[in-house]
Amino acid sequence: MHRKAAKGRRRASARNRPQQPAKRNVAALIAGGVGELMLTAGAVVLLFVVYTLWGTGIQTANAQDDLRDQLGLEAGQLEKEPIPLDELEVGDAYGLIRIPRFGEDWEWIIVQGTEDSDLKNGPGHYLDSVDPGEVGNFSIAAHRSGHGEPFADFPELEVGDIVEIETSAGTFLYQLDDAPNGDPDGNRIGIRDSWVVDPVPGEPEETEPTERRITLTTCWPRWGSSHRMYATGILIGGEEV
Amino acid sequence: MYAWIWRHLPGPWPLRLLIYVILIAAIIYALFIWVFPWAEDAFNISEVTVG
Repeated sequence: MHRKAAKGRRRASARNRPQQPAKRNVAALIAGGVGELMLTAGAVVLLFVVYTLWGTGIQTANAQDDLRDQLGLEAGQLEKEPIPLDELEVGDAYGLIRIPRFGEDWEWIIVQGTEDSDLKNGPGHYLDSVDPGEVGNFSIAAHRSGHGEPFADFPELEVGDIVEIETSAGTFLYQLDDAPNGDPDGNRIGIRDSWVVDPVPGEPEETEPTERRITLTTCWPRWGSSHRMYATGILIGGEEV
Repeated sequence: MYAWIWRHLPGPWPLRLLIYVILIAAIIYALFIWVFPWAEDAFNISEVTVG
């Protein structure tokens, strides 16, 4: 009985409260508003993380499907009358890249160009670099986090690993001779170290190339881009169409 | 802020709730479609090319 009475009293006082909001402390109102804003900001940051980890991948997967159609891929074969590589527009489907180190089924459509708008669709071919199989340095850039993260396992690349490139011009096998070798910080370079994609890496840009090379670049660290990471190799075989 | 919005939504509470959920979903959609892609570009957080 006593308890019930106490409850009744409490309810009565709760009923009285709505008459008091006019007297509510202004400071408390502001503090409450700021608190809500901070909670909201926290939620937005978390959503941004969701976006980078997962949201960007949806767009990339759709783009890869479109690029696959563009290449006319059927049963792993490029279409019979493809656009020659030198006539491709920036953003077009360029060819296929396969790296067995990243898994048996690891296969991506390369796009022509390395602007952000190209790379969000898949690994991109540096416009200034030669086409695969040619004398010079065929160069590719790809994301390591978000956008489908094609190069997620980049540090796992080891010297001796095979990189297979298939375009309308043929299939080309490269073997890496410089790679991170499992070191998460291996082959780390600065963001301006464009020498890695020069025709002859490490030599002045005008040096006449004699080797048929490949170079891959991605970001370092994985979830940022204060630096870059690279791997490079040389042509060991192939089959021109 | 949220309570203020709630008080200014019209209709009985189920309708208010529906409007509120749609409002929040629309804001999240806008974030994903416009704001986050912009932020990603603006803050250079996923650059992978050299030069």
